Amino acid sequence: MNSNLFLKEMQKNALSLGLWMAIISLLIILTMSVFRTFMDNQAQVMGMLSLIPKGALQFKGISNFNTLWSVLGFYAVNNVIYMMLLGSIFAVVLSSNILLREEYNKTAEYLLTRPLTRSEIFFSKLAALFMNVFLLNLFTAFVGLICIEVVKNGPFSFGSFMVLSVYTLLLNLLFGAVGLFMSTLVKRPRPITTFAIGIVLTLYFIQTLSKITESISKLGYLSPFRYVNMDVVSTTYRLEFPNLVYFIGISVVLTGVSLFMYRRRDIYT
Amino acid sequence: MSSAVIETRNLSKFYGKSRGIENINLEVSEGEIFGFIGPNGAGKSTTIRILMNLIFPSGGNASILGMDVLKETKAIKHRIGYIPSDANAYSFMTVSEFLNYCIRFYRVPEGEKRILELAGQFDLDLSRKVAELSLGNRKKVSIVQSLLHSPELLILDEPTTGLDPLMQSVFFELLRSENRKGMTIFFSSHILGEVQEFCKRVAIIKEGMIIKTEDIDTLRKRQLKKVSVEFSLPVDKETLDITGIENLIQGPGNTISCMYSGMINDLVGFLSGKNISNLMIEEPSLDEIFMHFYK
Repeated sequence: MNSNLFLKEMQKNALSLGLWMAIISLLIILTMSVFRTFMDNQAQVMGMLSLIPKGALQFKGISNFNTLWSVLGFYAVNNVIYMMLLGSIFAVVLSSNILLREEYNKTAEYLLTRPLTRSEIFFSKLAALFMNVFLLNLFTAFVGLICIEVVKNGPFSFGSFMVLSVYTLLLNLLFGAVGLFMSTLVKRPRPITTFAIGIVLTLYFIQTLSKITESISKLGYLSPFRYVNMDVVSTTYRLEFPNLVYFIGISVVLTGVSLFMYRRRDIYT
Repeated sequence: MSSAVIETRNLSKFYGKSRGIENINLEVSEGEIFGFIGPNGAGKSTTIRILMNLIFPSGGNASILGMDVLKETKAIKHRIGYIPSDANAYSFMTVSEFLNYCIRFYRVPEGEKRILELAGQFDLDLSRKVAELSLGNRKKVSIVQSLLHSPELLILDEPTTGLDPLMQSVFFELLRSENRKGMTIFFSSHILGEVQEFCKRVAIIKEGMIIKTEDIDTLRKRQLKKVSVEFSLPVDKETLDITGIENLIQGPGNTISCMYSGMINDLVGFLSGKNISNLMIEEPSLDEIFMHFYK
């Protein structure tokens, strides 16, 4: 890894990272600010929820009403979607461009003619990608934690909060690896942002639709969102080994394949 | 290990079935200013991109400073500079930020001083954003970044595009000065005049293949001559039917011009039986030599 390149990548993405942090944090704060009102009107909320079809609630991630009456459950159902979906979009947009933009911006001829190996370039950019995704997750989780502390109506499991945060980070990193992999498949350098976002949204909707439509329930296994355990109120809630293997395994394999392809890629500008 | 600064052996690059370059053999010696000339699409940039490890060869091999361009690219790039044909630096940086970013990849003592020195020579405003620069100024930035670490070899791909004549003059003077200090220069261009003025030896590339590698002076002194014959009476240009005659042009009056690559004695002998009023045999310009190779 080259620290000069890593720091420049961090600097290059600083504004974008700041904006994403601000937007996601604002959404979390706005949503958590209604928790007290929500709790004070449980009867009306239950009445309203009973009118909503079960499928539609599952679409929102509500499979058990009890989830909603705990601050962590409310946080998970209402906010994690921002961190999971928007965080994944952030990761995939960044990763799909981090190598490729040197080509379509025609700066690759400067970067690749410095005394750096392709692997050093790849790992410096990968480190910057990881750091951006990590900082986004750290900051938004911290904002979420403060919100929970402010509005909580009783004790909550910090361990479960951490597990949920780690799942979110792993999901975001997996989409980071997906974006990186996609960028190495592109023959003619051009931005693939729209396509990358489309992948995240498609996989998200596959997961949600598979939950409400019995006939396509198995299709949900294709989506990484499926492997995030959202049952935060369960007493046995923890990081499950198969899910960890899934996230880390796919991320490592996609990153490894991306490195392999990048090292052999003809770079044109 | 070879003593040549750049050496390629049967270097080839194919894009599917279409040929980029084929069997390129080059040898550039230490301290040389070597011209690499050919029209657009001839394969100059493809060759350079392989040397710079931007693209991978389909066959053959290449070494720079005795090191394989595929296996020892990092060590090579510590010791060489490169001016790409497209001068696109990072638009979000200022010139100063970009040059400082570049120099940090090398171990350059007093790097800031070196930046100021080179920027001064090219009248470069370090505080301006790269995005705001004209093509000529971006080219100057590109030239400066290539020289920051005082490389042993400088590879230039169409370096003068966008530079005004004054800056071209500054640029060539700087290159000559660096060359006198020992820098080897590999100069790719399609502009014959600058190659003629600047380079000592030249390789001519056509349709992906080297068709001639020669000293500029030797190239000029080859048997190729520009011949103009004025006849006393009107004649067809086919009158000059002798081996070695090419590019026959019917000129004004009874003049016929052509390029001749053969023994002058044979030409004079042939013409002695004709009714001629004037004969001019001249050295062709490099342009004309070039066109001769390219027809």
